Amino acid sequence: MPVLGFLKVQRLTRLTIKKTMNIDQAKKIVISVISKILEGKSKITEDMQLIGGESLLDSMNLVEVCIALEDLADEQGFEFDWTSEAAMSKSHSMFRSVAALAQEFANQSEV
Amino acid sequence: MIIVTGANRGMGQAITERLIEKGEDVIGLVRNSSGLKINAIECDVRDYSSVKNASKEVKRMKKSIKAFINVAGVASMNMAVTTDESSVQKLIQTNLVGTIYCCQLFAPLMLRQKQGSFINFSTIAVALALRGESVYAASKAGVESFTRTFAREMADFNVRVNCIAPGPIRTDLLRGITDTQIEKIISQQIIQKQFQKSDVCDLVELLIDEKAKSLSGQVLNLGGV
Repeated sequence: MPVLGFLKVQRLTRLTIKKTMNIDQAKKIVISVISKILEGKSKITEDMQLIGGESLLDSMNLVEVCIALEDLADEQGFEFDWTSEAAMSKSHSMFRSVAALAQEFANQSEV
Repeated sequence: MIIVTGANRGMGQAITERLIEKGEDVIGLVRNSSGLKINAIECDVRDYSSVKNASKEVKRMKKSIKAFINVAGVASMNMAVTTDESSVQKLIQTNLVGTIYCCQLFAPLMLRQKQGSFINFSTIAVALALRGESVYAASKAGVESFTRTFAREMADFNVRVNCIAPGPIRTDLLRGITDTQIEKIISQQIIQKQFQKSDVCDLVELLIDEKAKSLSGQVLNLGGV
């Protein structure tokens, strides 16, 4: 196969992966992970806070969620970085809600 | 696997050699690996991206991490008023920030396996408030404080964090210190004896051993203070 043709295939493959991780799928994954860590004891909603007084997760649970998502990302062929400034920033923290975390998870699958 | 920063010289080299001698699988994190006979990853602990890349490389190895030993450090013996700006930054960035970067970026690997041990390095200069070591002692006091707090954060994951604070040990860090100054420091220890690198290696072996499972958040001062 000509080199250029190979590159096109690689690019197409990457595009296919991008399309497979949309926000709805990311939300399902995040909700499923949180639910598993909370042992199904609470109903997880998209606007549920992940940090702060309203959160059902303690700090240990939150780290477990991040590690589980990191492992799932590995399986999907991308890297999920939960230690970035975007993750930690107070105003734009991806931990401000389930939806925000799912959005970041989906975004990082496209990098 | 055990990871040692600053594994190519001084205390880091001694610890690495001891652990290899004991049959451990050791990886050194060093700024320059050329000519090194041990397994090593090039990494500058002062640089967040560099440490992050090293942690990714270790993660790809898919090996269990038994311990992470933060030995890389620099010293500068001077009064605060005669310490230049770049020396202050180098001391804080290498000794304190470098230790924090390594702990925070390698911790997730240990959290996942729910076991492991961090060993950080301080100095007796913190406890004794040694004159002429204010900036160095400040950087290491930060390491001690970080160790105690980080240990609490890691405890739920069965990861222990401790700190070794040696007195004057014969390494490059002691360059420029006279025998009289060394004797004066030793005279302030509970056990008034100059300890060696091998004594520090003994403590490292103890802290990574299952027998030390009750110890976390502790600062062990060689010789006692």
